[in-house]
Amino acid sequence: MKKISRRSFLTATGILTASAALTACSGGGSTGKAGAAASSAPASSAAASEAADPSKYEVTEPITITWWHALESQYDDLVADVVKKFNETQSLITVEAQYIGAYKDINEALVAAHAAGTGLPAIAVANTDYVASYGDSGLFENLDPYIEGTSYDTDDFSAGLLLSSQFEGKQVALPFLHSTQVIYYNKTMADANGWTIPEKIEDFTPFLAEVHKTAGVYGTVVPGWDQWYFETMYLNEGVQIITDDNTCDLGSDTALGVTSMIKDWCDAGDAYFATGTDASAAMRQNFYDQKTFSVMHTSSLYNNYVSKCPDFEVGMAWYPAASTGDKNSEVGGCVLGIPSKNDQATKNAAWQFLQFLCGKEVNMEWAEGTGYLPTRNSVLETDEGKQFLEKKPAFQCIFDNLNLINPRIQNSAWSELATTWKNYMEVIMNQDGDVNSNSEDMVTEIDEILADHA
Amino acid sequence: MKQAAAGAASATQAVKADKKPFFSQRTLSHFIDFLFVLPALILLGVFTYYPIVKLVQISFTDWNLLNDTWKYVGLKNWQWLFAGSGAKYLWNSLKVTFLYSMGEILVTMVGGMLLALLFNRMTRSFGLMRAFVFVPKYVAMSSAAVVFLWILNTDSGVLNYLLQCIGLPAVDWLNQQSTALPSVLMLTGWRVIGYGMMIYLSAMMGISQEYYEAASLDGANGVQKFFRITLPLLSPTTLFLLVTTFLSSMKVFQSVDILTSGGPARSTEVFVYLIYRYAMVDFRMDRAATAAVMFFLILLVITVLTMKVSDRSVTYDS
Repeated sequence: MKKISRRSFLTATGILTASAALTACSGGGSTGKAGAAASSAPASSAAASEAADPSKYEVTEPITITWWHALESQYDDLVADVVKKFNETQSLITVEAQYIGAYKDINEALVAAHAAGTGLPAIAVANTDYVASYGDSGLFENLDPYIEGTSYDTDDFSAGLLLSSQFEGKQVALPFLHSTQVIYYNKTMADANGWTIPEKIEDFTPFLAEVHKTAGVYGTVVPGWDQWYFETMYLNEGVQIITDDNTCDLGSDTALGVTSMIKDWCDAGDAYFATGTDASAAMRQNFYDQKTFSVMHTSSLYNNYVSKCPDFEVGMAWYPAASTGDKNSEVGGCVLGIPSKNDQATKNAAWQFLQFLCGKEVNMEWAEGTGYLPTRNSVLETDEGKQFLEKKPAFQCIFDNLNLINPRIQNSAWSELATTWKNYMEVIMNQDGDVNSNSEDMVTEIDEILADHA
Repeated sequence: MKQAAAGAASATQAVKADKKPFFSQRTLSHFIDFLFVLPALILLGVFTYYPIVKLVQISFTDWNLLNDTWKYVGLKNWQWLFAGSGAKYLWNSLKVTFLYSMGEILVTMVGGMLLALLFNRMTRSFGLMRAFVFVPKYVAMSSAAVVFLWILNTDSGVLNYLLQCIGLPAVDWLNQQSTALPSVLMLTGWRVIGYGMMIYLSAMMGISQEYYEAASLDGANGVQKFFRITLPLLSPTTLFLLVTTFLSSMKVFQSVDILTSGGPARSTEVFVYLIYRYAMVDFRMDRAATAAVMFFLILLVITVLTMKVSDRSVTYDS
């Protein structure tokens, strides 16, 4: 038998290891083109125009379905209770709830399952960020025929929330757990110093400086791990982010003004731009430890902030209005959708559960148990709604501005755009990057992304 | 006469048939050998080579993971990777990956060698210490990374607590460009140094004592013995460690994903993380495939070059 030389063996080993590296990098890459998977996917747009036929959406045989959610362990009892209530009312449908992880994790798992055409849940939550791409790609079923076929009433949902779960006029999801951007502040510290959160952005800058100077702590923290927290400041100043001619205006003078303002806060030590893998936890801890007077965060974490700050009262305020006078915010949280590659029996069962999850009966239970906003207008007028506000008076600032909560920007390039924006903002804020040159580079890159998706 | 000739011809044919069957014994033997390796070849083909071919194919398409359809776009992705906005991220991730690799190689080889020299004694206490150094290799990277996330935490991390105890300022380990990559290397070093030590130790034990005895008789001191005997005879092991550590370090992902997610400002965005970001954050399988093919070619070229260079500098103890 011919001997294999050491050199040949080592070379072959090296090549095979390199091949293995490549193969490891190619996971999921072999799904291929339209073919089989596509043939099982219903054409959502075609479905929208189909005549309503209630019998098409009936559940006729026993079925067990899976619900992917992002509600962490502190909500286990709440999730179990809601699922139990649904299962008890059903003779044919059994729901199994599965915690998958954060929105990002669900997104990855859902997209991978969609590409593979297998392992999909019957129903899943999705961050409002993803509605456009899921609608555009047909990952989520168009719910219009279901709504029409079962005469489901959607008028009771807040208009902005309903819009935020649509893509190009199609209802590809329904509003589920929603929140908006707010400022949490140390009310005890504010009362002791006679401070109130300014209503205008031009007053906010000197206010942060005063807090820093007086109390020796940060005036606020701007979350940099998700552009959702700072994009509203740009939008209120009149920046469109994606203009009508499909270009990015984050390099405009107005946008540069907002970027410079945030950078000035950070450079002066009046605020900091929170980035990194543990940025959210670190920011919250700084607030609990009273190392910062306020933080910009999501309203859904109200319960969490209150429970972790027993030594002082937590206040909640609306973002200051821009120089234009606009003080809109954007909807956050998640919607519920049905993956389109499921079979019709699974989709029908999912539709039943989806209606229950978004129904008036459990709407207040979600709001009370999680800190998310009630999604139905009628709920606010009920006794439960009034009790909710009595228990959480800080939410008054949100209820006063409910009509100012706008849908997110719906563009299939949004995810790529957002990643690029966040990365450049991190360089500008935390790595001493120049505002103008970095913004210019960023806009060039984003324009390329937008053109690619056009 | 004719009958006799025909009989002779058929007899010849029969002899020929006896002598030369359709399959020779050797061919049959090779075919049976081939059947034994066929299952492995099929697995290799399906799980290694088919994905590679598919990956090359995808790199010429516009496939977005969300869409079921795609079309061929020629060299568009390659152009984007080398001349478009993808270029600066490509070079950045290559730089970061090579820096990381050099760090890991340094820790594995130099650190492993030093520890091997230190622990090269067969006593029970040294055996126990060797085990302590080696055990981290078997701690799951995800668990280790989460622990290091806490150790390196700016406000409540153990490392900063210790620094402050000796009067040094706290460091924002994972959120500064200058310290993020060294922080990832701290975790790597903790895990791999014991592996390097064990490989060197086993190689050192294989070196005949006669060399050292002869050197002692010639008056060589410890340093001379190390540089003239130990180090040259360890060169095959060093080559093995160099190649395997280099290739494995180029594929680093998990520790970066958990500790820094490629940040701050892409300062720890290694190549595999870049591929992951294109595929699973942007859902651009076309770009991810292009970057992956590029990565394969780089690894292949470096491996072949390493082999060529090593032929001249490796000493085999025959």
